[in-house]
Amino acid sequence: MALRGDLMEDLVLYAVDYARSAGATYAEARYHRNSLRSIISNNGSILGVGSEVVEGMGIRVIVGGALGFSATNRLERSSIKAAVDRAISQARSAFRLMKHPIELAESKLGRAKYSVLEAKHFDSLSFEEKACFHTDLWKATSRSISEAKASALFIEYTESFEEKIVANSDGAFIESKVPRIALFYNLVITHPQKGSIQRWEMLGASGGLEWLDKWRLINRLEEDAKTYEKILLTAIEPPKDAVDLVIGSEIVGLMVHESCGHPSEADRILGREAAQAGKSFIKRGMIGERIGNENATVIDDPSIPGSYGFYLYDDEGVPAKPRYLYKEGVINEHLHNRWTAKVYGVESNAAARSMDYKSEPIVRMANTYLKPGNYRLEELIEDIELGVYMKSYMEWNIDDERWSQRYVGLEAYLIERGEIKGFVKNPALEITTGGFYSNIDAVGREVKFYAGTCGKGEPPQGVPVWFGGPDVKLRKVRLGVSIA
Amino acid sequence: MNEELLRISEGIVKRASIEGFNESAALSINTRRTMLKIANSEPSITQHWSSLNVVVYLAKDRRIIIMEFHPRDESEIYKSMADLLKVAAKVMESPLYAPLPEPVEVRPLEGLVDREIVERLEEPSTLAEAAIEAAHREKIDSIAGTIDLWYREKALSTSSGVSLYEDSTGFQAYLRAFAEPSGSGQWSTCSTRFNLRSIEGTALTAAKYAVESRYREKVEVGKYDVIMSPMVFGNLLELTMRMASAFNVLMGLSMFMGKKPGDKIASDKLRVFDEPRNTELPRATSFDDEGVPTYNKAVIDGGVLKTLLHNSKTASKMGAVTTGNAGWISPAPWNITVGLGDYSLDEMISEVRRGILITNNWYTRLQNYVEGVFSTVSRDAVFLIEDGKVVKSIEKIRIADRLPSILNNIEALGKDLYNIMWWEVTIPSKLPYVLIKDVNVTKPTI
Repeated sequence: MALRGDLMEDLVLYAVDYARSAGATYAEARYHRNSLRSIISNNGSILGVGSEVVEGMGIRVIVGGALGFSATNRLERSSIKAAVDRAISQARSAFRLMKHPIELAESKLGRAKYSVLEAKHFDSLSFEEKACFHTDLWKATSRSISEAKASALFIEYTESFEEKIVANSDGAFIESKVPRIALFYNLVITHPQKGSIQRWEMLGASGGLEWLDKWRLINRLEEDAKTYEKILLTAIEPPKDAVDLVIGSEIVGLMVHESCGHPSEADRILGREAAQAGKSFIKRGMIGERIGNENATVIDDPSIPGSYGFYLYDDEGVPAKPRYLYKEGVINEHLHNRWTAKVYGVESNAAARSMDYKSEPIVRMANTYLKPGNYRLEELIEDIELGVYMKSYMEWNIDDERWSQRYVGLEAYLIERGEIKGFVKNPALEITTGGFYSNIDAVGREVKFYAGTCGKGEPPQGVPVWFGGPDVKLRKVRLGVSIA
Repeated sequence: MNEELLRISEGIVKRASIEGFNESAALSINTRRTMLKIANSEPSITQHWSSLNVVVYLAKDRRIIIMEFHPRDESEIYKSMADLLKVAAKVMESPLYAPLPEPVEVRPLEGLVDREIVERLEEPSTLAEAAIEAAHREKIDSIAGTIDLWYREKALSTSSGVSLYEDSTGFQAYLRAFAEPSGSGQWSTCSTRFNLRSIEGTALTAAKYAVESRYREKVEVGKYDVIMSPMVFGNLLELTMRMASAFNVLMGLSMFMGKKPGDKIASDKLRVFDEPRNTELPRATSFDDEGVPTYNKAVIDGGVLKTLLHNSKTASKMGAVTTGNAGWISPAPWNITVGLGDYSLDEMISEVRRGILITNNWYTRLQNYVEGVFSTVSRDAVFLIEDGKVVKSIEKIRIADRLPSILNNIEALGKDLYNIMWWEVTIPSKLPYVLIKDVNVTKPTI
């Protein structure tokens, strides 16, 4: 983006300088361009092709302790000046209502340029080949089962680039470019007497088409369709008594995202998202308190190569690093931006992210996972007399303080005398955060990651994340059965 | 801006024809929007947006392309158009394709712009001050929330000859109050016209529920008769109405798969409307994205599914007629309203022997869209009702049930309607408290 980059760099620096001269004690400008191409299909037929460019500048200022944000996609000096003036005037008028003026923590800020490369370029496959891929996926899925029927396979395939130039009046200057690939599908398998089963899943990563090879989608969907057919035809109710439970990495990943990552967001703890995403069961002063046993270590790391939530500097210019949110069962560290870091008297750990130019940077996760242990799956189940292995899910939710959560298994198995047996239908795990982290009996040794779009903020911002972990075993859990 | 915005849309349509597309439509949207967020009874940020958004529909030999831009200038759109023409030749025909509709006279809606909202875009802090002051008339500890105001213009041009412009204003406010120990309440409001009293009323309702829900006690799981506030019912009804989009039916994301107009899907008492011509609600519009005139319609009447929501493509695919709900690909509801019942909230409570009043919820997720199996979590005030009276504030619960059961078990609807719009009810809705029999309530086992 050489020429465009030079022009935008000038505008970003102009916005920061002008804001400072107009009275802002802190000024930050972010040129942000999200571009994507998508192909959507249903049952192998291409419904349409999408193309999107969302490009503009977001400007954030502090005036007298109040925060103002303004965004525009009219990228010339007069519009940028007007946007800066607007952010300043609105912050100035809000200041009279401020009881706790906003300040930012001192931070080591970066001056760097980085980009993620596509190992296999998006244009190394022709458009026709990508369209054919949709058709091939449908053919393979629909042909793989005979008693039940694949009645819908909706696929949205997306290639995107996120380009940013971030500068602020404290000296940060970061230019970045990250390509991403994502595929969302919704599969419905139906049987005239047994009803239906539904699976939607999102796969995503930073990089290029090399991920299509890694995902082995045709095999994956063929095998999944066969599994879902068997679940429809053969699944039985889960045991009613308390049993040992092996939770698959997909659900463990979601659990640590929901019940460790979110409640560890310092802005949430401080009440900034109270009317939207809610508060947290973690209150100020709880660093060092126990939340689980020694198996409960949860890490959020933006710098994992190839990850969907990858970045090296956050949108305030702070260098990224792994954050140990829970460490051996103890609340260890929160996710911070420079404002929350100032309130807590710590350094920012680079959690400020924004979805696009229209969005203010707020505290977000990147790639959150449970630290692996030593066990293979067979070793986790070998001593279980009667239990359940919940491998994947469809339905889940958690309360707004991130304490009471529910996951309903989709692919789930009965375990008898140390062996995986047939399927159980819709086992519902309803558990508290403390209950989960305190009862982890054993942890698998292989971490797998899953992609998602994490929502927070107002207007809502969806940012790419990975969540993951190994399989884990809990002892004596009473499962419900979904209403189905 | 009227002529300039139309010029952009018309220019894109002309250019698409020159490039070689058979059909095109361009929708240009110019927005000015101000949002003030409150946390801990003080402003946390004031945000302002000034943006031009252009969405383009292109068809070439029954192939469909959708483009969306926040463009610096039109040249970027034209360049992408040329690139995508090459792509179009390589795509198979879309099974959704149908020609864009011919122009039909559109009857403009009066009263969509309130100058007071336009003026208040410049200085929203006085609204935050009013909301904070109103909430603190009750003995609360703090209030949080969002006050959001906007002025929006849209200009639609299509290759079939549509050329339409409309501007409108809107606001939404939602506020959540906290009162120790453990009490919280949340409420919302929205309109096309500014109303300070409704913002203050929203703050007062949130504060009242916060105070009344302190000192929460445990409750047993099981079946309860549940009174859902308009916030809660609005959330479940939005989900239901999105499933009434014919596109979601075709894609397997709807419990209306396998249903047809005329089928009984809910209690006789339920009437649900899509009301694009209700000028009180912020998504009111006189024409849809295909230039088809909008009209108010019953989607569920007397518990019977009256129609799915269609654009011309889904209508053609399903042998129906467009309902003026385009979305070029997926139709969507404009504004959701529910027919009045005859109960006050107190009368409704007096009908309940063993039940729960749930005032707000979030995080509704489905196990299976086709069967409507879902769960949702309460947040804020929840009350236990015994023998016709509210007896205590209770801890958070989860509803885990089937949407078809919820709709069929509606026992009573309130006679007061509330304008609701917030994080979990994104389509403006006007609806009452609702009493539902035999709802499954759960909570964690460890």
